[in-house]
Amino acid sequence: MRNKTWFIVFRRELADLWIGGKALTLILIYTILLGIITYVMAANSELSIIPPKEMVYETLKVAISVGLFIGLIIGADSISGERERSTLESLLLTPANRKQIVIGKFLAAVSPWPAAMLIVIPYLYILAQGDEVFGQALFWGAIFGSLLAPAYTALGMFVSFWSNSNKTSMFVSLGIYLLFLLPTQLPGRAQTGDPGRFLQNVNPMQAPNFFLAKYLVNNRTLPELWTSLISPTVFLLIVIALLFLYAAPGLRIEAGKVNKFGVLFRRFKAVSVAILLLISIFTSKVLAKENSLPENGGQPLSISIDLDYKAVKAGESVFFNTIVKNNSSNESSALIVAMNIINLNAQGDVVDPEDWSPQRTQYIEKLGPGEENTLSWRVNAIFDGDYMIYIVLIPAPEGQGKTSQPIASSGIHLTATKFTRLNPGGVLPYAIGIPVILLLGTFFVYRRRRNAIDEGGGGDA
Amino acid sequence: MAFVIKRKKSKSTGENSQVLYAKDLRKSYGGRPALRGLSFELNAGRILGFLGPNGAGKTTAIRILTTILEPDSGSFRVAGIPSTFPEKIREKIGVLPESLGFPKNITALEYLIYFSQLYKRNKSEARARSLSLLTEVGLEQRVKSLISSFSHGMRQRLGIARALVNDPKVVFLDEPTLGLDPRGQKELLEMIVKVARGRKAGVILCSHDLPEVESICDDVLILNMGKVIAKGTVKDIIGQPRDTIRIKVPSRSLAYARQHLAKFKNLFKVTSGEKNGWLIIQFSDLTRPKSKEYSSLNNNILMVLINAKIPILGLETEGGRLQDVFLNLTEGVNK
Repeated sequence: MRNKTWFIVFRRELADLWIGGKALTLILIYTILLGIITYVMAANSELSIIPPKEMVYETLKVAISVGLFIGLIIGADSISGERERSTLESLLLTPANRKQIVIGKFLAAVSPWPAAMLIVIPYLYILAQGDEVFGQALFWGAIFGSLLAPAYTALGMFVSFWSNSNKTSMFVSLGIYLLFLLPTQLPGRAQTGDPGRFLQNVNPMQAPNFFLAKYLVNNRTLPELWTSLISPTVFLLIVIALLFLYAAPGLRIEAGKVNKFGVLFRRFKAVSVAILLLISIFTSKVLAKENSLPENGGQPLSISIDLDYKAVKAGESVFFNTIVKNNSSNESSALIVAMNIINLNAQGDVVDPEDWSPQRTQYIEKLGPGEENTLSWRVNAIFDGDYMIYIVLIPAPEGQGKTSQPIASSGIHLTATKFTRLNPGGVLPYAIGIPVILLLGTFFVYRRRRNAIDEGGGGDA
Repeated sequence: MAFVIKRKKSKSTGENSQVLYAKDLRKSYGGRPALRGLSFELNAGRILGFLGPNGAGKTTAIRILTTILEPDSGSFRVAGIPSTFPEKIREKIGVLPESLGFPKNITALEYLIYFSQLYKRNKSEARARSLSLLTEVGLEQRVKSLISSFSHGMRQRLGIARALVNDPKVVFLDEPTLGLDPRGQKELLEMIVKVARGRKAGVILCSHDLPEVESICDDVLILNMGKVIAKGTVKDIIGQPRDTIRIKVPSRSLAYARQHLAKFKNLFKVTSGEKNGWLIIQFSDLTRPKSKEYSSLNNNILMVLINAKIPILGLETEGGRLQDVFLNLTEGVNK
C-alpha cells in the first residue's frame, strides 16, 4: 500500500526529531524544569503559602508555556535548518507536493506537545492532593495546549520559511514569543481596567492564563469565561491558514529576499493586527458587558472590588481594594462603606466581622463629579468554610425623614480550607523519578537503534 | 566570439531520442541577467558537459531545468513533458546537487527507501529498489550503516543512487567528483558513463574539471555570462584548428623564416614573439576549420622552414584540448 506523501514525510521527520535526539533533549529539559517547579511549590505549600489549586494552575501554566516554546523552536528549525544542512534541495527535487511536505513537517514538529502533556500529568496529580482541580486542569490544559502548541509551531515554521539560517529564524521566533509573553508579566494593576482587559483578550498567550486562573483557582464558570477561548482559536486559524495556504505552496530552496520578506511581513502584520483588533473589540465588548454592570449600572454612585475569588487556608489574610466613584455631575453626599461577610456553608449565617477585619466600616466625606476614592480592606479567615464578602455603599440621607439607596458591590467568594501539608519529601520521588524514567527510556531507544544499524567507521566500503 | 557546431549523432550509443529540450531560457535576479537565452537539446544515452566560469549561469540553468526555479521566459521539455508541469518533470529527473546534505541518524538503506517512497513506491518495492541501487553504486556492504559514518566518496555514490531512485530520463550531476581522490574520481566517472549508456539516460554533467569532461562527455555546452558561447560534440569543439602555434628558431633566422612564410599571408599572420627566437603564427580565419588547406597547414609551415634549412628548436600549440578551448572562449571574463 502506498502511503500519502505527508505521512511519509511525517514519519521520517518524527524519527529524525525523536531518534535524532532534538525533541528528546528538549522534553528532558522540560521534565527536569517541571520537577524543580513541583518541588519548590511543594516546599511553599509546606510553609502554607500556595493552596493546591494555585499550585496546579502555576504548574500547568509553565507546562503550556514550555510546551509551546518547544514547538516554536522545532518549527523555527524545520525549514531554515534544512536549508542550512543542504537537505531541503533533495526533498524539493522529488515530485512530493510542497503543501504535503509542510503538513508532514508540521505534524512531526507538533509531536512534542502530547508528550509534554503526558509528562505533566503525575506532577499535577501530586500537587492537586485529590482536589477536583486535577481533572479540570488536565481537560483545559489539553484544550489550550492543543490550540497554542500547533499555533506556535506553525508560527515558527512560518518564520523559518523566510530565513536562510537557523540563527535568524530562532532569533525572530524567540522575539515573537517574548512579545506575546511580555504582557503576562506586567504588574497586576496594569492587567486590570480596559487596556489590561484588552491585552488579555488579544494576547493568545494571556487569554488562556486568564481563563485557567479564573476557572481553576477562582471557581468561575465556562459561560463567564468562554470568550478567552476566542483569541487562541483565532490565532491558531490565522497562523495555520498563513502557513498552509500562503507559505507552503511557495516552499523553495532559498529564503526570499529581505525586501520581499519585509513587504510580506508588513502585510502579514497589518492583516493580523486588523484581525486581532476586531476580535479584541468584540471580546472586550462582551466582557465589558459582563463585567461593567456591577460597577456602574447607570447609577450616580458605583462601587467596585478588585477581587472576585480567593482560596486561603484558615488563619490567612485576604487583602483587597474597593473603588467608590461618583458618576453624576453633582457632588455626592457623605458616604458610608460597610463590609458584610455571609457564611455560605451555614444557611447564610452572618459572620460577625469583629474578629475578621480591622475595617468593618469606612467613611468618605464627599465625592466631586467624576471623582473616585479607593479604600483598602483586610479580612482574616478565622474558620474554614465558604464565605461571601461584599461591601455596601450607603449615601448619607439628605435630611431628617428622608432615606437613600444603598448600593452593593459584587461579592468576593472566599474559600478557607483547613490547613493541609504537602510533604516535599513525597514530591521528591516524582521530581527526580520522572526525568530518570525518561532518561532510561531514551537509553533503551538508542540501544535498540544501535542494535539495528552497523556502526562502520569512515572509508570506502 | 561564439561558434556552434552541428551535433553529430552518437555512434557509440546509437540513441538519438530527445530527452531534454530547452528553448531561449532567460532569468534575471533583480535586473541582473543570469541567463540570456539558453537553448539546447540532449538525447538519451548521451552525456553533456555543462561548462562555464564561476557566475556563468550554470547553477541557475540547472535549477530552472530541475524545476527548482522558474525562468522569466523561455520553455523546456523533459522526456516530452513541458515545463508547465513541474511535478511531472520531477518524476523524470534525478539530481545530484553540488552541496548535498544528508540527515543525521539515518542509514543508507533508510535514506533511499524514504526517497523511493516519495516517488510513490510502496515500502517493499522501495526496499527492493534501494538495495539494488546500493549494490549498483558499490555500497552493498554498508546498507545498514549510518550515513554520518560514510566518507565523502561514499556519500557521493549514495547521492548518485538517490538520483537514480526513480529511473530518471535525465540525470543532473553538479560537480560530482569535487573533493574526491583520483581513484574515487575514476570510479565515479565510470559510474556516470554506466548510467548514460546502461540506463539510456541523458546526463548533464556540471564540472570545472575539464579533462574529466573531455574524457566522458559526448557533447559540451559552454556558458559565459549567461550566454551560450559554444556547443557541440566534444570532438568537434576540441577539433578546432589551433588558434596559434609557436615555433622556436635561432634568433638570427627569425627574419629569414618570416620571409619564407610570407607566401601564406592570406592564411595567417606571423609575428616575432616576446620571447627571443619564437615565431608566433596566428591563424586569421577560424570559420574555415575544415578546409583541406587548414588541415595540413602546420605540416606545410614546418616543411617550408625545413626546406629553407632553418633549424626548428621547438614547437608549441595553443588549442587542441578542451581546457584550451574553454580558456580561449572565456578569456577576459574574470578581468
